[in-house]
Amino acid sequence: MDETTLTLESLQAQLAAQQSTFDMHQAMNVEVFYWWCTAIMMMIHAGFLAYEMGASRSKNALAAGIKNILALAVIIPTFYLFGWWIYNAFPGGLIPTNASSALPWAASMGPDVSDMGTGIFWAAFALFGATTGSILSGAVIERIRVSAFLILTVFLGSAIWILAGAWGWHPEGWLLTDLGYHDVGASGVVHAVAGFFTLGVLINLGARKGKFINGVAQTIAPHSLPMTLIGLMMIIFGFFGFLGGCIIFNGGETGWTTIYNTPTNLSAFAFNTLMGFSGGIIGCYIATRDPFWTMSGGLVGIISVAAGLDLYSPTLAFIIAVCMGFAAVWFAKFLEKRGIDDAVGAVAVHGFTGFVAVILVGVFAGGTPNMGDNPEISFLGQTLAAVIMALLGFIPGYGLSLLLKKLNALRVPESAEDLGIDEVELLAKPYPESNTPASTDSDVPNKLANVEPQGI
Amino acid sequence: MGTSITTWENVTAYFTFADSPIMLMLFALGAAGIVIGLIGSIIKHENEAFDKLK
Repeated sequence: MDETTLTLESLQAQLAAQQSTFDMHQAMNVEVFYWWCTAIMMMIHAGFLAYEMGASRSKNALAAGIKNILALAVIIPTFYLFGWWIYNAFPGGLIPTNASSALPWAASMGPDVSDMGTGIFWAAFALFGATTGSILSGAVIERIRVSAFLILTVFLGSAIWILAGAWGWHPEGWLLTDLGYHDVGASGVVHAVAGFFTLGVLINLGARKGKFINGVAQTIAPHSLPMTLIGLMMIIFGFFGFLGGCIIFNGGETGWTTIYNTPTNLSAFAFNTLMGFSGGIIGCYIATRDPFWTMSGGLVGIISVAAGLDLYSPTLAFIIAVCMGFAAVWFAKFLEKRGIDDAVGAVAVHGFTGFVAVILVGVFAGGTPNMGDNPEISFLGQTLAAVIMALLGFIPGYGLSLLLKKLNALRVPESAEDLGIDEVELLAKPYPESNTPASTDSDVPNKLANVEPQGI
Repeated sequence: MGTSITTWENVTAYFTFADSPIMLMLFALGAAGIVIGLIGSIIKHENEAFDKLK
């Protein structure tokens, strides 16, 4: 190179050009990371689709599926219309602050060369919202009206959970600034909120016909247990996108942080996600020996450690997940004995586990500092926040479903439940060429006869 | 007709009607109407389907 051209000015110009290129590529990397997290999260919904269709009797399999598909279709636009605004406007409580840039007519809410963040974060959060809708969806199969479910899921997926997100999953959320709340993997803001919303709905919706006879819970077997197991494993796959979306990919020298701006990295998430997954399976398997609950245990395990995914030692995460596997099964039995028909155990797996997971961060990681003036993580702060999450889910879920019940718009008529919603409402059959009845006489002893439902 | 730009120089928000909040509000209302209409149509369909069982 000609040395005469290497003036200070030319070197500065080259450095500036390289810095500009580096900044652009870093911004593109952020977009790429969340793009694929969002894509992987779609697998959660493919999983819920398979899992809920399999968990239904064949006469309701398509109705369960159409519910999932339409939930995605309504949550995405409504999250665009008001969900993203709620997240940005309500970190301080119930009084909105100015968040005009998140309104659906703002310039940043569309293709914008100067904004490489809003769209991709909106997309990830919209898919988080869709996950809450799917959590509700499984519990209410085989008797809820599709219309009622969609109304409930819009409120849950585009308003209620994201209000919890604004409070507890926003750098300025009041649960963080006042209580030191820590919930990096959304055990509280997604799972506890959605689970307790679901509990509120189930109380008003009632049990499937035939679920309880003289107060005794009966087995309503899934029409395709293998489909439910595959679906659950697909959800686990999607969780890697979900949890990836929970970490902040920062520009500059900062690197990865939690949503609370504390340092972490994907290695921390990898250790504890997988150890939690394994522990939950073991706990639920030992507690039930049941295939459905064993696979659900993977979800229980991840959710049980998600709130402290960045803080736990991996072996502690494993032990927590094993214990929560037992506890979730216990809670499912507890609900069933009280006449709650949760067809897939969503309240136990998501609501109860998410609730306890938030508290456990206070138990095991209390005293961990937060950034800036935010208080440190504490048992009291986590417990209060967990109660707030549960109430924030339960009260609107109960209230809204009660209103729909009063309007006779919540549940399908008994005659439709007898015939099957597929035939009555969808005019379709999942297996039209199948002539094999669901159960046949056989000389082989049925080991599953006269056992407790779903192994719980 | 709906483009918000005339050149790619110094462009920021470049989507259709980005420079017209009124139009974007109308589109938002239209989108909201479609979601509400969808749920309304499902309620109507369900009522008709369930009435046939009576």
